[in-house]
Amino acid sequence: MPSLLAAYKVSLVLIVGLTLIYAFQGYYPEFIQFFSNAFPPVIAGAVVISCGFSLEKYWHKAREQFSMVWLYFTWGLFLWFVGEAVWAGYTLVWGIEIPYPSIADAFWLCGYIPFFMALYLYVKIFGPVLSKRVLAASMAVTLGLTAIVSITLITPVLGAEEDLATMMVDFAYPLFDLALFSIAFLGLLIFLKGRLGKSWLLINMAILTNVCADMLFSYTTAQGTY
Amino acid sequence: MTKEKKVFNEVLLEAVDEGLLILGESGRKAIYFHLQNSHSLKKEDIPEKPEIFLNGLRKIFGLGAQAIERSIVRCLYSKLGLEFIERKDYDFLKYLDAAKNMSEKEG
Repeated sequence: MPSLLAAYKVSLVLIVGLTLIYAFQGYYPEFIQFFSNAFPPVIAGAVVISCGFSLEKYWHKAREQFSMVWLYFTWGLFLWFVGEAVWAGYTLVWGIEIPYPSIADAFWLCGYIPFFMALYLYVKIFGPVLSKRVLAASMAVTLGLTAIVSITLITPVLGAEEDLATMMVDFAYPLFDLALFSIAFLGLLIFLKGRLGKSWLLINMAILTNVCADMLFSYTTAQGTY
Repeated sequence: MTKEKKVFNEVLLEAVDEGLLILGESGRKAIYFHLQNSHSLKKEDIPEKPEIFLNGLRKIFGLGAQAIERSIVRCLYSKLGLEFIERKDYDFLKYLDAAKNMSEKEG
């Protein structure tokens, strides 16, 4: 597994590097403005390419569930990449004030559907090994998180006098993240004791990070401080 | 090796091949590759060393290995013309032993 180890190392370097760049952003506000808009489509594009290679490797036929899993993953990542690219286009190319919700939001939100399908198809294969007790515990965790997110957002979003579409998008991001989490968490419980457990742990951590980020985004947008 | 055992091993190998297909064609190849590299287990040796095969699966998939084991066992029973009855106290190896015994009796 040397290539996987290399991928972990590169990821670690990226995490540390990005943390340092953002920690000292006060010293270079113009650069960080550019970087924040230019870097996401680059990294999202790299992920699409990487997933594309996996799709090429694992695609066999459309009737095969795992082939579809990789197709859905790649499709979801591609839509998120387009969302990032449109955002970068608004800020760096056209230089116009970004509407909210924008076309970028449409791509991001649509991306959740294939992601959900990919996770669902993957976990469905192994689902029968989960006991009812584990399923109930997993559901309780997801419902608890959903309650926390909803309670945190309900007052600022409803009190912000936004139009209906904006309010729906405010809630949609964190709730869609939680929909992904509800499936990914089952995956983690299934594979936890195996080598695949590490990958599922990373997937879960990434989704939970997204929950926090999207909750903060919706909160600050409703407060007008984003 | 007796003729019955040889036949059983061949059927088991076919069942493993078919059962692993729940991971897809490429997933199956990846599993065989991993078993050979990490556990020095060749595909054709699986019937003789099912415990190593089982250990390899569980190391990769954790609890999820049970779904693959069940898929293989179902294929095996179907190929041998045996009725598959799910038992909570049975694991993969016990199902194999039971299938071997039943097919010997019927043979």
